[in-house]
Amino acid sequence: MKSISGFICLVITVLLCSCMERQDFNQYDDISLRPIYEASILYVEAPERLINEVTTTNFFSQDFNFDAFSEPFFAERVLDGIIIYELENTTSKALDVIVEFLDEGGNILDTEAFQLEPAPTARLRREIAYGEAGRNLDIITNTSTIRVSATNLGDTTSTSNLPDPMVTLKSSGKFRVRLK
Amino acid sequence: MTVLKPFLLLASLCVCLQATAQNKQLLYDFNEIPQSLLVNPGGKVDYLWYGGVPLLSGISIQGGSSGLSVNDIFADDGLDINDKIRDRAIGGMRIRDELSGTYQLDLLNGGFRGKNRNVFYSFGIYHEGDAIGYWFRDYAILAVDGNADRLNERFDLSHLKTRGEMLNVFHFGVNKRMSKSLVLGGRAKIYSNILDFNSTKNEGYFVTTEGQNNLLASTLNANMRLRTSGIDALLNASDNEGIGSTLLKRGFFGGSLGLGMDVGFTYHFSEQLLVTGSLLDLGFVYHNNDVTNYTLNGNATVEGIEIILPGALLNPDTDFWQELVDDVETLIPFEENKNNYVAFRPTKLYSSVRYDFGEQIRTKEDCECDQIASNSKGIKYANSLGGQVYAINRPRGPQSALTAFYMRRLGNTLAMKTTYTVDKFSKTNIGLGVSLQLGKVNFYAMADNLLAYRNLADTHYNSFQFGFNIISWGKN
Repeated sequence: MKSISGFICLVITVLLCSCMERQDFNQYDDISLRPIYEASILYVEAPERLINEVTTTNFFSQDFNFDAFSEPFFAERVLDGIIIYELENTTSKALDVIVEFLDEGGNILDTEAFQLEPAPTARLRREIAYGEAGRNLDIITNTSTIRVSATNLGDTTSTSNLPDPMVTLKSSGKFRVRLK
Repeated sequence: MTVLKPFLLLASLCVCLQATAQNKQLLYDFNEIPQSLLVNPGGKVDYLWYGGVPLLSGISIQGGSSGLSVNDIFADDGLDINDKIRDRAIGGMRIRDELSGTYQLDLLNGGFRGKNRNVFYSFGIYHEGDAIGYWFRDYAILAVDGNADRLNERFDLSHLKTRGEMLNVFHFGVNKRMSKSLVLGGRAKIYSNILDFNSTKNEGYFVTTEGQNNLLASTLNANMRLRTSGIDALLNASDNEGIGSTLLKRGFFGGSLGLGMDVGFTYHFSEQLLVTGSLLDLGFVYHNNDVTNYTLNGNATVEGIEIILPGALLNPDTDFWQELVDDVETLIPFEENKNNYVAFRPTKLYSSVRYDFGEQIRTKEDCECDQIASNSKGIKYANSLGGQVYAINRPRGPQSALTAFYMRRLGNTLAMKTTYTVDKFSKTNIGLGVSLQLGKVNFYAMADNLLAYRNLADTHYNSFQFGFNIISWGKN
């Protein structure tokens, strides 16, 4: 019985010695998951041959349905971000390119205009910020259509000396979203 | 976010289930406790019969986290929890780190000596749950940092590796003294699976690269699979007949069934030196009941909406966005099927070498029943010293543990075993187990990693086992 008493004392000692450093589980509420995701948005390519074939100056205008921004998972969580445009004109004429964001009702929410000189031109790169440090974020969350228009400011006969002349519009988005 | 809360908590604990979480090093070769037959059916048995108190015997709970402790994240230390997650989870954990847990409970457990007094039969039903999940590092990076400014960095989809199950095990074992030096044992098992999930064969990656046309190209190459069994039945049960009755039904042959076996031995090199070994849960469950599987297979690279004139405008009504979405869904279809599948049980291996010494104690064993036992005079020694090895097959390969132990017996009333175990979790795991025999009533309790009791929140591994049994040697 002496040994049993000794063992019980040992167990009680261990239990009494057990403790736990102070924990603060309310810190869970402070966890902030705000990753930044990036991906391409829209690519448009128009060869000089097409520009020359169209007799009107506004040789291209098209609305593209774009639901990515209005998907609830994105629209309800996006905090801010930037849209990056990169345009290149290797044709022989000056061009105006306009990108517009439209809501479901067809209302224009935002407009970005680009003036491109004839070839040889450097690439034109522009970053547009949305959110606190930029334009209203509602523009992004309400956008359901992207309209791209292009106007030929030159002639319809000349041809660039560069190989495979064309105008290209590249774009991507980089947005910070709140997962928690 | 309510749904995400437990998930994120799990993630914050580093979602790494401990590899050796099923190790019962304290119970192994602890022959004073009948439940030791469940970890070595070839263990030495000296009693005439025993019965576990239903629902109060064979209780064990184990859990571990090899990469992170609760204290690492939730300590009230004034540090920003987001910095702690970034430094200690994202930056500090490896994909082999895991979070795991297991529990077991005897529903019925008994045993008796046969007409051939060298044969001991044991039988019972126990309920068991087990889950393991490895640290899904690249998924966590995507969730915390995203893919921005990580050009050409592949996020490995194989980092999602998890499995879990809940089942009842019906078992019947035979333990036979073959000679003065050898005891052999085997146990047949029928598994009645209540629920199962596993997603352990995932492959693929997500990567963002410079686009061919547009600025960026996003590529998803996926070969992923999640197999589930019984989960649909439980979800439906909450609306209909009730979860309790569904658990009961599926646990008693109404779910998916499987077969398995345990084998084990004890061999005496001499009266005081012996080796033991066992192989447990060599078996499988064939899931053909309430099975739902999900797959994501394929490869797709997208660069946003691509309009290449003049061809793109042949049909001015084309919805390019929807086409893009449809193309991705065609190239990487997310599909569901009801295909039956086989899941192998986590097989465990134990082995030990033991040296008995010190004072000789006469056991309660009826010596007349024992014609060929090694200790034919019913003698055991007060002290035992030895070492054990343990291994278990896991989704990322076998995991093992090494244990040194010392046992002390005080008459036939009290036996204690202390262990020192080294595994991937801890190099300071000291455990203590005790078996108390008061008349026919046996009580045992065991706890692991006692040094961690100095700060329980900082422990990477803990286990606790206890139970009550009635044991008879057939004489007073």
